Amino acid sequence: MIEAIPQALSLIFTVEGMFVLTLGTMLGIVLGALPGIGSTVAVAMILPFTLTMTQAPAILLLLAIYAGSVYGGSISAILINTPGTPQSAATCLDGYPMAQRGEAGKALGWATIASVVGGLTSAVVLIFAAPQLAAFALNFGPIETFALILLGLTCIVSVSEGSMIKGLIAGFLGLFLSTVGGDPLTGEARFTFGNFQLIAGFNLLAVVIGVFALSEVLIRASAISDADNKLVKFSGIVLPKLSEWSGRVKGLIKSVLIGNVIGILPGTGAATAAFISYAEARRSAPTRDNFGKGEPDGLIASESANNAVTGGALVPTMALGIPGDAITAVMLATLTLHGVTPGVRLMSENPVLMAAIFSGFFIINLMLLPFGMIVSRLAAPILRIKEAYMLVMISLLCTVGVFFVRGNPFDLLVMALAGIFGFVLRRQGFPMAPLVIGMVLGPTLEISLRQGLIITDGSFAAFFTGHPIAAVLAVIALVMLTLPVIRFYRSKSAKA
Amino acid sequence: MQNLVTERRIVALLILALSAGLVVSTFGLQFAELGGAFSPMFFPRIILMILLALAALNMVIDMMTNVESKELRLAPTLLICAGFVGYVLLIMPLGYFISSVMLALLILITLGIRSPLVLLVLPIASAGSLVVLFNHILKMPLPNSPFFWWI
Repeated sequence: MIEAIPQALSLIFTVEGMFVLTLGTMLGIVLGALPGIGSTVAVAMILPFTLTMTQAPAILLLLAIYAGSVYGGSISAILINTPGTPQSAATCLDGYPMAQRGEAGKALGWATIASVVGGLTSAVVLIFAAPQLAAFALNFGPIETFALILLGLTCIVSVSEGSMIKGLIAGFLGLFLSTVGGDPLTGEARFTFGNFQLIAGFNLLAVVIGVFALSEVLIRASAISDADNKLVKFSGIVLPKLSEWSGRVKGLIKSVLIGNVIGILPGTGAATAAFISYAEARRSAPTRDNFGKGEPDGLIASESANNAVTGGALVPTMALGIPGDAITAVMLATLTLHGVTPGVRLMSENPVLMAAIFSGFFIINLMLLPFGMIVSRLAAPILRIKEAYMLVMISLLCTVGVFFVRGNPFDLLVMALAGIFGFVLRRQGFPMAPLVIGMVLGPTLEISLRQGLIITDGSFAAFFTGHPIAAVLAVIALVMLTLPVIRFYRSKSAKA
Repeated sequence: MQNLVTERRIVALLILALSAGLVVSTFGLQFAELGGAFSPMFFPRIILMILLALAALNMVIDMMTNVESKELRLAPTLLICAGFVGYVLLIMPLGYFISSVMLALLILITLGIRSPLVLLVLPIASAGSLVVLFNHILKMPLPNSPFFWWI
């Protein structure tokens, strides 16, 4: 893989390559800054524009949107106290108080440097960890794959903020939706109820855009406020001086490591990393008493950790084809649309493309510094845009995205109904990420389970007795599944 | 006195009913006689059984706890829901441009925008720019609209 980097760089340093990296990073920052769009919807909205591109530029554009949007979320978090993406929620805690003190430029400066450092280290993690993981998983048979997917599914528990039961219901609904259509082994139609359009199953992207983007439009419309966003005074990013970093580097390194590790774990995501890192900094930093009142250490903790997750989250996605959260699930779907099937053979079969993706991701994170400084100044006035105008644009762009994937009007109906369904469920506290993860992992889980049972003559116990890797993965899955339950009861008994 | 019928409980009941209905449906479907893991219903049945159990547990929890849902502006929400469904059904017969202008107008009016200039310009500009971009620049044609096929 490493030896393919020179060839990969020749793919990136072309007019087209540099254009998509520049455009993608800038657009990602703007879309991430707009509250309500978020990384998942941003990638889904840009997808149709990539359909006419060749593989490498298309994937680089989507990666640039992903990384740019995670950073962009900090702009609105600091300037209007509304995180553009959930990952930036912890950034509000110290970013906005700094902005209120008239230090918006300084706050964005800290956030920018922390994001760049976090993003760059995550790119290094991606470059070195993904090939190793893929090489290890190359010997997996259906039984090991089943155990691996099972482990991936345990992330449903960790992304189920609020209610674990509701998260599990959403996850199993996703698994069920993945079974609609032709049976992967016999080809017989299941749950089509006479509708021939359903034989090909539900279009993943139509469901994703429905449950994330259209349901967001409905949620905002159902509780819209007429008040315009109050923007604090801001005249450009002010980067912190070297001397101001004294005493803060240790905290930065710690937060970056937290983000890197959490990124690789399936299901935890950037928002969790940002809050864990923030809590750790608040516990250990000498400036802990100033946290929540506009302390740069708090900003550094959340912004470096959430950007440090991006590359790590792509490790299991690229190497194993297992997305850890909703955004990587969408990335997985878009990669497949561009003829790239993430999984154990991807690294050995497409070394140049993979090297281009990994090196491109590193360059994107480098670009965050100059483009963050330019775009944040231009994006600030856009934050004043009326919510209704934004909802119109989201609705129209999402429709285009879904239409172009298969050119099938039925997918549009699926998107609209998924939007309404997602709205109803989200109002009652059902998280949507597990639904998407279930839908993505469902087909592989089903095939590996059924193949495994055929190999073992129907003995499920033989899955684990004769396959040590599968047994270890199953034990880890069990631990990950039970830990939140134990933690819940411990905190309950501590309160009582 | 606490309200027994809440939005949360209705949704929990609907999910329970949906899960139960789907489990029942797996027994009525006719497939070739393939046993065990070969059966097309093998995996979905496991998933739906677990889903049914979780839905029942969720119903019990929602009956025991009294969580009020966030306030809902019913009329605009229902209008936009109907608008989405109507939009995707009309997109092929009316084309992308006309149906998108109609949806944009509906969203803006429903959300309280009353400025005639905005109501005139924003829907035409947003839908029109997307049509021009995809039809002429990216060469990926969106569904054509009668009267506006030339855009």
